[in-house]
Amino acid sequence: MKEEKKLTLWERYLTSEIGIEFKSCLYFFAILFFYCVVRMVNGSTDASILHMTEMIFTCYGIGYFQVYVLWNFDEAEKLGIKEIAGMVICTALYCGISYWGKWFDRELLPTLLFALYLMITYICVFYIYYSKRRIDDKKLNEDLKLFQSEHRPREK
Amino acid sequence: MRIDIRQTETEEEYLTLRYREKTPLVEKILQTLAGEDKIEEPAGRKVAESRGFSEKEDIPPAAYGRILGRTEEGSAYISLSDILYLESVDDRVFAYTTRQVVRLDGTLTSFLAAICDESFFRCSKAMILNVNKVAALKSLSSNRIEATMEGGEKILISRRYASDFRKLLKRGSLG
Repeated sequence: MKEEKKLTLWERYLTSEIGIEFKSCLYFFAILFFYCVVRMVNGSTDASILHMTEMIFTCYGIGYFQVYVLWNFDEAEKLGIKEIAGMVICTALYCGISYWGKWFDRELLPTLLFALYLMITYICVFYIYYSKRRIDDKKLNEDLKLFQSEHRPREK
Repeated sequence: MRIDIRQTETEEEYLTLRYREKTPLVEKILQTLAGEDKIEEPAGRKVAESRGFSEKEDIPPAAYGRILGRTEEGSAYISLSDILYLESVDDRVFAYTTRQVVRLDGTLTSFLAAICDESFFRCSKAMILNVNKVAALKSLSSNRIEATMEGGEKILISRRYASDFRKLLKRGSLG
């Protein structure tokens, strides 16, 4: 009999921490891309280190909020009202912080475009996770059939 | 292993299997024989005892692919291969087949130790599922897996057990 392995509290914490870390990197990259595009459109090729630092901390903070408070909506099973509400709340938070931190010089149009961009990003991320799970389904079911063909007792 | 097969037309049909250890071949033969319904109530308890279990732990006689349990009508044998899953409720173990629910003696851990069959997988603290009776699997978020059984029941394989389950499917065994 195989010894039952229990995940320690530390391991459980580490697993969710890695998940949040990954999410933060993903959204930071997406936001930085939008920020750079806006800067270039406005004729500037410089990016503020202060803004980037704010973006990193915001992504971490909202990452925790997403996982522990907002049902980890981008990894949910289906895109329902709850999940869309989560996306809207996080988008509003990002926009509020971007306005406060003057990421887009408190201009309305880039901030609105930023909101739209974030909503699209969230929906894309949701479908990426969704597709990943469906591919995983196929693999799991293939492995299951193989296991059953090797282990199933002969039918009478 | 020496194999002696003789066809007879006059003598009574019988089959004896002697083995030192339960090798995969022996297991396979026992599984095949279990489906034939011609086996005397075997030494399941002895097998369990030889694995270090005491009388107190009430090991069900699970050897040879059948197990004794209690139903509302009385005692009944069910074939291990018919079990969809086992569940522990208030320290009592129930085995579910498509047709009946049977109460077993012992614990989920003692059941796994007694049957020694890779097809039975501990999928959560209170459940064991028969992988051979899983109709479909679905990957869920947070690395969990949902198993749909042949009877249509859905069983959740928690994150804690999901990686072992994947390994089991990949390698055919956890060992």
